[in-house]
Amino acid sequence: MIDGWDGDDETATGGFLPLYILVNGRTTPRNSSLDLATQVIAIAADVRRLEPEYLQILDRCKDWISIAEIGAYLHTPLTIVKVMVDVLLEQGYLDSGSPAQQKVIDPGLLGAVLAGLERL
Amino acid sequence: MKRTSVKIVVAGGFGTGKTTLVGSVSEIAPLTTEELLTEAGVGVDDVTGVESKTTTTVALDFGRITISPDVVLYLFGTPGQDRFWFMWDELAQGAIGAIVLVDTRRLDTSFAAVDYFERRRIPFVAAVNRFFGECPYTEDEIRGALELGADVPLVWLDARDRSSSKAALVALVRHAMSRLPLPSAL
Ligand SMILES: Nc1nc2c(ncn2[C@@H]2O[C@H](COP(=O)(O)OP(=O)(O)OP(=O)(O)O)[C@@H](O)[C@H]2O)c(=O)[nH]1
Ligand SMILES: [Mg+2]
Repeated sequence: MIDGWDGDDETATGGFLPLYILVNGRTTPRNSSLDLATQVIAIAADVRRLEPEYLQILDRCKDWISIAEIGAYLHTPLTIVKVMVDVLLEQGYLDSGSPAQQKVIDPGLLGAVLAGLERL
Repeated sequence: MKRTSVKIVVAGGFGTGKTTLVGSVSEIAPLTTEELLTEAGVGVDDVTGVESKTTTTVALDFGRITISPDVVLYLFGTPGQDRFWFMWDELAQGAIGAIVLVDTRRLDTSFAAVDYFERRRIPFVAAVNRFFGECPYTEDEIRGALELGADVPLVWLDARDRSSSKAALVALVRHAMSRLPLPSAL
């Protein structure tokens, strides 16, 4: 929930809701901090037990990559990517970076972004 | 430092230049990703529901700018149609802020976006896209029509132009920094 917004807003749903999909007995990531911009990276592990759909994701994670990018490259809806990435995180096949979900109130981080943009 | 993602939302009405702006500053060609939605009130909790007519997909495009070895900025364009507010919530959550693109031929199409970020107190700048060179309105007229708060920066841009899009991003980050709580208030 965004800071400073009480959720009382007639525009909130607009008639559509996220579609929850069952993957390995779960419909939502247990790790609720997963955001579409969260980046993940593969950890060296024995992957022989993994199903092809999971291997496909791991193949994309040799370097840091966001959930949104995985979804785009594999043509897989975000909800499904999130739940599958969550399974891989939990089972130790992936590591994750900072989620981009807390409000950015870190002046150092904003300053770094500003400097990075000015260098473009 | 831990690998960190930051987000900026590129919003505005239908056809205001969101994808063009993302493409002009992104280091990769804009990518498209999809989310599945179901009509409110219809419970779909199984993959078997994916084929049903009660579901729909919403596409959103995004780009990436590597800020430093540890920090990557993602730019997300909001879906064109207003009915997918749920996606806006996910995009806006934790974002540095938003650029609301404005097409002077159809000022009203960006009003919903302005209202969305105002209500949630998410920092944003209004960016007037110069589709036809000369703008028929003054800054005050645009501010009035969009009911922009006095502190909301208004910039003029050509979304096709990289340095122009970059300047709008810089204006937004500066604005977000100016709204940080003072150190003593933390
Ligand atoms: N002249 C001019 N044309 C522009 C500018 N920005 C975008 N366009 C054109 O306007 C059209 C719409 O731009 P898009 O970037 O697709 O707009 P959008 O907001 O992503 O559109 P939707 O996603 O459909 O809502 C395209 O044909 C662009 O080439 C601009 O700054 N100047
Ligand atoms: Mg677009």
